[in-house]
Amino acid sequence: MKRANYIFLLLIAGLAAAVAVAISVGSESVSVFAPDEQGRAILFDIRIPRVLLGACVGASLALAGASLQALLRNPLAEPYLLGVSNGAALGTLIAFVLLGDVAGARPVLAFAGAGIATFAVYQMARSKTGMNVERLVLAGVIITTFLSSIIVLLTSLLDAARLRGYTFWLLGDLSQATYNGFYMTLAAAVAGTIVLTSQARALNLMMIGERDAFDHGVEIGRVRMIIFGMASMLVGTSVAASGSVGYVGLIVPHIVRLVVGSDNRLVVPMSAFAGAIFVVLADTVARTAIAPRELPVGAITALIGAPLFIFLLRRS
Amino acid sequence: MKRRSVERQMVCLLMIMAVNLLLACDRQEEELPAVAEMRTVKDDLGREVRLPEKVTRAVSLAPSITEMVFAAGAGDRLVGVTSYCDYPAAAKNIQKVGDTQSPNIEAIIALRPQVIFVSTASQLEAFATALEGQRAAVFVVDISKLDDVPDRLRRLGQIFGTRERADLAAIELEQRVAAVERRPRPERPPRVLLQISEADLFTIGRDSFITELVERAGGKTVTADIPGGYPKLSKETALALDPEVIILSDSSDNRNPNDAMKNSSAVRSGRVYRVNADILSRPGPRLADALEQLATLFSQEPAGN
Repeated sequence: MKRANYIFLLLIAGLAAAVAVAISVGSESVSVFAPDEQGRAILFDIRIPRVLLGACVGASLALAGASLQALLRNPLAEPYLLGVSNGAALGTLIAFVLLGDVAGARPVLAFAGAGIATFAVYQMARSKTGMNVERLVLAGVIITTFLSSIIVLLTSLLDAARLRGYTFWLLGDLSQATYNGFYMTLAAAVAGTIVLTSQARALNLMMIGERDAFDHGVEIGRVRMIIFGMASMLVGTSVAASGSVGYVGLIVPHIVRLVVGSDNRLVVPMSAFAGAIFVVLADTVARTAIAPRELPVGAITALIGAPLFIFLLRRS
Repeated sequence: MKRRSVERQMVCLLMIMAVNLLLACDRQEEELPAVAEMRTVKDDLGREVRLPEKVTRAVSLAPSITEMVFAAGAGDRLVGVTSYCDYPAAAKNIQKVGDTQSPNIEAIIALRPQVIFVSTASQLEAFATALEGQRAAVFVVDISKLDDVPDRLRRLGQIFGTRERADLAAIELEQRVAAVERRPRPERPPRVLLQISEADLFTIGRDSFITELVERAGGKTVTADIPGGYPKLSKETALALDPEVIILSDSSDNRNPNDAMKNSSAVRSGRVYRVNADILSRPGPRLADALEQLATLFSQEPAGN
C-alpha cells in the first residue's frame, strides 16, 4: 500500500504541474504572475476555464473507462468505442436541433443517450456463456456506426453553417469552455470518483468471476446498475461540455494498470487523476501546435490512442 | 464428332470477335463528332477541355457558378444545379442534383449535360473518374480574387456564345469595383475581424478571397496572415487582436460576436455589422454588392467616441 501512496502523491503533483504548464502557455503569451488587463481577461475568461474543464473531462472519461473495463472484464471497453460517447453526442444533437440551446437540456439528453447506448451494447454483447471480447467490440462497433449514421442524417438536415461547427465539436473540442461547464463536469468527476471507488471491492470480486462475487455477498445487479449509471452520467456531462473526446477511457486505465496492477481500489481513483493529466496535456498541444489556429483535442487523443488500441487488440 | 463441334465453336468465336472489332472501330468513329463542331477551352486548372461549339445543356455544381452563368446571360442553358443554388430566383426552378458536397452522379448523367461546371479541384477528382466515358466535359471554375470574376464572366460568355451579355456584365462589375475604389477612404484602414461562426469562432485566413475583398473595400483584416482559407481562431488571439470592426457573415449560427471579443474596440464602439453570408461567401457577380456594403461600413464613424 505504501508504494500506492507514493504513486497517488506523484499523480496529484503531476496534475498540478500539468495544469500549471497548461495555464502558462497558449496562442498568446501572457505573463502569469503579472498579467495586464488584457492578460487577465485571457487567463481568467478563456484559458483557466478551458484547462480546468479539460482536467474534469479527462477524469470523467478515464473513470468511465476504468469501471466499464472492470465490470465487463474487458480491457477494450471504452466509452468511445462502445458507442456511449456517440449516444451522448446524439442526445446533445437532439437537444440542439429540437430545443435550440435550452440550458440544461444538453447534459440531460446526453446522459439519456449515453445510458441507452450503454444498455444496448450490453444487451447485444451478452450471451448465455457470459461476455466475450469479440462480441463486445462488435456490439460497440455496430452501435457506434449506427449512432454515427443517425448523427450524419441529423446534421445533413441542419443547415450548412450550423453543421460546420458541429463536426468540429463532435471530434472533441474544449474551445467553448465556460465556468458553468467546468462546475458541471467537476461535480460529475468528484461524484464518480467517490461512488466508483466505493464499488471497487465488488468489482475486484466480479473480475474473478460472477459466481465468486455472488458467494461473497456482492449484489451483482445493483453494482452493474451503479456502474452503467455512473459511466453514462460521466460520459454524458463530458460530451455535453466538449463533444466526444475519444480513447481517454481506453489508454489511461490501461497505463495505470501497467503501473499498479489490477486492484480496482487503486485503478479507479488513479485513473481519474491520470485522465485529467492526459487531457490537459493533449489540449495544450491542440491549443498551441498550429496557433493561432486550433485543433480539436479529440484529434490529439485519437492520434495517441488509435495505435495503442490496435496494439492492445493484438495482445488480447 | 466432338472435335468438329469444338472447331466450329472456335471459328464462330473468331468470327464474333472479328465482327466485334469492326463494330468497335465503327463505334469509335461515331463517338467522335466531327472536329469542326468541337473546340478546346482552357479551364482554371489549365486543362484543355473539349466543348461543343454550341453548349445548350450545362450543369453547375456551385451556387457561385450558377450566379455567374446567369450573369453571363446563359441561365436558360442550365439544366441542373445544386440545392444551394437559390439566386437569381429563376435558379430555384432548375432541376436539383444534390448539394455541393455530394451531388448525385446519376441525376447529373440523366440530364445529358454537355458540360459540368465544378468549383474546386477536389470536386473534379470525384467527378472526372465517375464521368469517364460519359459525354459530358468537366470544366473547373476556380475564383481566388475579385478581379477573376469579370474575367470568368467573359469566358462563360465565350463558352455559351452570349458574349455581348457577358461582356456587359463584366464591364458593369469592373465599373462598380472602380467606383468603390475611388470613394474617399478613412485615413487609416480599420482593423477588421470577419467572423464566419460565433461559438467556435471560424474566421477568414490568408487563402480566402474574402480577405482580399475586405482590403479592396478599404479595411484590413486582422487574420490576413493566418494560413488556410477558413481557420478556427484561438479565442485568446481573437481577444488580443482587438478588432475595430467586426463583420458577421450573417447566418443562423452567427448572430453575435464571440464572447472573447466582448470588450473589443468594435463591440464598445458599436461597430459590429452583419453582411448577408451568400453575397459575401460566393465568389461571383454579387461580390460587387458585398464590396460596396463593406466600403460603406468601413467609412462609418464609430458611434461611441
